[in-house]
Amino acid sequence: MSLSDDFAFTQGSLADYADCARRFELRYIMRMRYPAFESLDPLQFEARLRQGARFHKLAQQHLLGVPAELLSRSLADDEELARWWANYLAHGLTNLPAQRHSEITLQTQLGGHRLVAKYDLLALEPGGEAVIVDWKTGARVPSQSQLRGRMQTTVYRYVLSRAGAHLYGGASIPPERIRMDYVFVAQAGQRLSLDYSAAQMRADEAFLSEMIAEIEGAHDFPLTDDERRCRFCSYRSLCDRGEPGSLEDFDFDEMEDGDDDVFAVDFDQIAETEF
Amino acid sequence: MASISLSRAQAELASAPLTGSVWLEGWAGSGKTSVGVQRILYLMERGIPAESILLFVPQRSLAQPYIRAMRGQRAHRGGQVYVHTMGSLSLKMVETFWFLVAERAGFRYPRDLPNFLSLEMVQYHMARAIEPIVAERDYFNSVRINRPRLYSQIVDNMNKAAIVGFPIDEIGSRLTSALAGGVEQAHIYGDAQTCALEFRRYCLAHNLLDFSLQLEVFRDHIWATPQARTFLRGRCKHLIVDNVEEDNPASHWLLLDLLETSDSALIIYDRDAGFRRFLGADPTAARRLRERCETKATLEGSLVMGGEVQALSGRLAAQLGPSVARANTADPRPALITEAHRFHPQMLDWVAANVDELVNARGVSPTDIVILAPFLSDALRFSLADGLARRGLPLRSHRPSRALRDEAAARALLTLARLAHPHWGLPPTNFDVVCALTTSIAGLDLTRAQLLAEMLYRNGCLLPFAEVRSSAMQDRVTFELGERYDRLAGWISRYVDGERADAIDIFFRRLFGALLSRAGYGFHADVDAANTAQNLVDSARNFRWSLDYMSRYDDDIDLGLDYVNMVDRGVIANFYARDWISDAEEGLLIAPAYTFLLSNRPVDYQFWLNIGSEGWSRRLYQPLTHPYVLSRGWQAGAVWTDEDERELNRQSLRRLLLALTRRCRKGVYLGYSELSESGYEQRGLLLETIQSLLRRLAQEGQDV
Repeated sequence: MSLSDDFAFTQGSLADYADCARRFELRYIMRMRYPAFESLDPLQFEARLRQGARFHKLAQQHLLGVPAELLSRSLADDEELARWWANYLAHGLTNLPAQRHSEITLQTQLGGHRLVAKYDLLALEPGGEAVIVDWKTGARVPSQSQLRGRMQTTVYRYVLSRAGAHLYGGASIPPERIRMDYVFVAQAGQRLSLDYSAAQMRADEAFLSEMIAEIEGAHDFPLTDDERRCRFCSYRSLCDRGEPGSLEDFDFDEMEDGDDDVFAVDFDQIAETEF
Repeated sequence: MASISLSRAQAELASAPLTGSVWLEGWAGSGKTSVGVQRILYLMERGIPAESILLFVPQRSLAQPYIRAMRGQRAHRGGQVYVHTMGSLSLKMVETFWFLVAERAGFRYPRDLPNFLSLEMVQYHMARAIEPIVAERDYFNSVRINRPRLYSQIVDNMNKAAIVGFPIDEIGSRLTSALAGGVEQAHIYGDAQTCALEFRRYCLAHNLLDFSLQLEVFRDHIWATPQARTFLRGRCKHLIVDNVEEDNPASHWLLLDLLETSDSALIIYDRDAGFRRFLGADPTAARRLRERCETKATLEGSLVMGGEVQALSGRLAAQLGPSVARANTADPRPALITEAHRFHPQMLDWVAANVDELVNARGVSPTDIVILAPFLSDALRFSLADGLARRGLPLRSHRPSRALRDEAAARALLTLARLAHPHWGLPPTNFDVVCALTTSIAGLDLTRAQLLAEMLYRNGCLLPFAEVRSSAMQDRVTFELGERYDRLAGWISRYVDGERADAIDIFFRRLFGALLSRAGYGFHADVDAANTAQNLVDSARNFRWSLDYMSRYDDDIDLGLDYVNMVDRGVIANFYARDWISDAEEGLLIAPAYTFLLSNRPVDYQFWLNIGSEGWSRRLYQPLTHPYVLSRGWQAGAVWTDEDERELNRQSLRRLLLALTRRCRKGVYLGYSELSESGYEQRGLLLETIQSLLRRLAQEGQDV
């Protein structure tokens, strides 16, 4: 296995590995970018992703102090987004501790590697609750057990428990104080909350450590046997795994989970004419 | 604390108290960046939240040592250090707080989103905004440079105004007032002024933000809002600023402000530098920050140069200006290796042979060698790569402005797009079709691709393989390759017949996924080709997104045709430097001299090519702008003379030689040929300087 020394695991890369080891190899080891379609209707797919990204940006702007009415005025061209926004305003921030950190990235160490999580919102009160809030714009609300099984749930809660002390008055956050709220803004702002515990944290640590060790020790990265996982994979044509899937079957909420490396550089090319 | 070996002075600076500001200056290679890197690690180790630290650099490549070190801190638990340039920071701030200021900043549609323009999109919109005026009024008819370069200088003027902080309607008068004469030049400046104002009107009317407008909105409007100030000041409690001498007055303004509220700051200044002056770097203005720092520190000497290189450095600089170094009595000649050649190819052979000797006979790592030229043309790059490859030497080149259209995979996709869109009226040439077939079909060599194109490319269409009547020809091409060709030609034919009108990036993706990435085709399992295809898709998609916004206000756009036209003209897809960050540091680097400097990485040996070239000392020909006249320090009413230009050349070369030698440990090889690449005799200032030094050293040797 030849991951670079500074490679950082994220919930996205671990979920990719869990889905298909070959995808992990192509994306993170070979660093091959592949412009084939993810779904049958690429423009609609892209529009939906951009809509989700715009919602996340709106929430961030609001949390940084841009008045809601100013932001609302900008949504005249998109009824669906306006509906999500109204649901966010009505339900998104209820019952949350006062200290807010939006779009914050944390990292911890596991198995000799960095493990990174990028949060939509952390709401904490030193000595009190520490709530992870994740905005979901998908058309379906999964069950609690499905959410519990998501790599995002595992990684986000674990990383906060290990790396959030500086946001919590300097003390480690007791796992029992951590809660993860998924807020489904496309579904009337419905909220599903998942508690955490020390036992779950130990179980998560064991699970993640084992997975990272497995990746680190891997020599082969086999293609998944489950071809359903290939329907929305852009490497599908490389692996000769059929045609893209239909948009109705795609879970956009899994695409919305931020995956930034903690020390990723958010540079643009503007004004960077070089020699 | 981890891992970097520091002197006592360096360690003291890195572990300075958690409050207070430090100004640190010294030569390149004196260990300043190591202090900066260790300072960040120290802050994190002492429990400073990483998200309250801002690392601020003038150009992203200069952040690399910090990022590498931070990524190496696997045990770190916590948040993220923010790493920004003025461009990235102002963009983020304007994007976030846009709706607070859009109306008062003068945008016609303040309830719509802003549309930030990449450099290539600036050029595209510039063309749309000003070409009618340029054509109607016959502007710039005496200027002999191509349109993209012309537009880029208008953009450059606007950027300078924003960076320095004067209104854009003063560009023309500032430039004209510095003229020593020449009515024609005054007209050119006047035309450039009109174009700048027209482009600004166009941007405000369409919610477009080029860098200059982005910066003005940030400084004049965003920074006035309490929300933005609270946010940024809260995020910037600890500042690490490196290469502040390469940054511009707008950056210095922001840093001066942030210094007022930060807990700690380390500001690093490289003496005898300021290479990005034509991008607005202002080392003099940077020194204003020094006065605001509580502690002023200097790192003396060099941790890089050996004694002979250090002597060479000092002696070269002394040829061109005041002495900089403490007396160094070493003989610099062993550090200067040269051989005269009559012809350019002989010089390149000599370079390859010496690199070979260093690597294979003396065990020098190729990563510790760099080959530098003032400019890196395709021909020069190819000749060198070929010569080194024949000796089995690994090579990497970095030329930030290499156009995406020069990559074979991108050219193939663009050619296939033309074939699939006959209504554009842009049929590809026979040669382009040959190249596209070679790149697209696995196993198809140039000869057989030529045969196919000669037999089957007619009137802008690819005919089926069955149209080859001669069985000898069929055998020669082979049926296997003929079948692959047929599938490609058939795919394009069906696309044309279906009258599908994909957006151009979607077309690329469709063709890539349906055929080119499949087994038997040239992009299959080819990492480089796939990445190039993705870069082209990104470029085309950004183009589409940018124009999606525009379609609200202006529907007179044919996306695909416009995109391909702009690529052909060298406007679009010209600035894809995506590989910089991930640039593997393996192999020998070939780069323009200034590009190497801004990677801030010392090497054992440097090869300087074409030392007779004027390009080592003379600034770029820029008839529409002037980096010094539009700088902050320019005195109103002063005139730029030929003597100023000559002195500028001398000082630029002096700074360049100091900077290069200070990034060199063991020796410099000088590549000299009497005749240049183009066959002309060369007598540039670098050549004169070196000859003069060698004569003086010989004289001193005799005197001894």
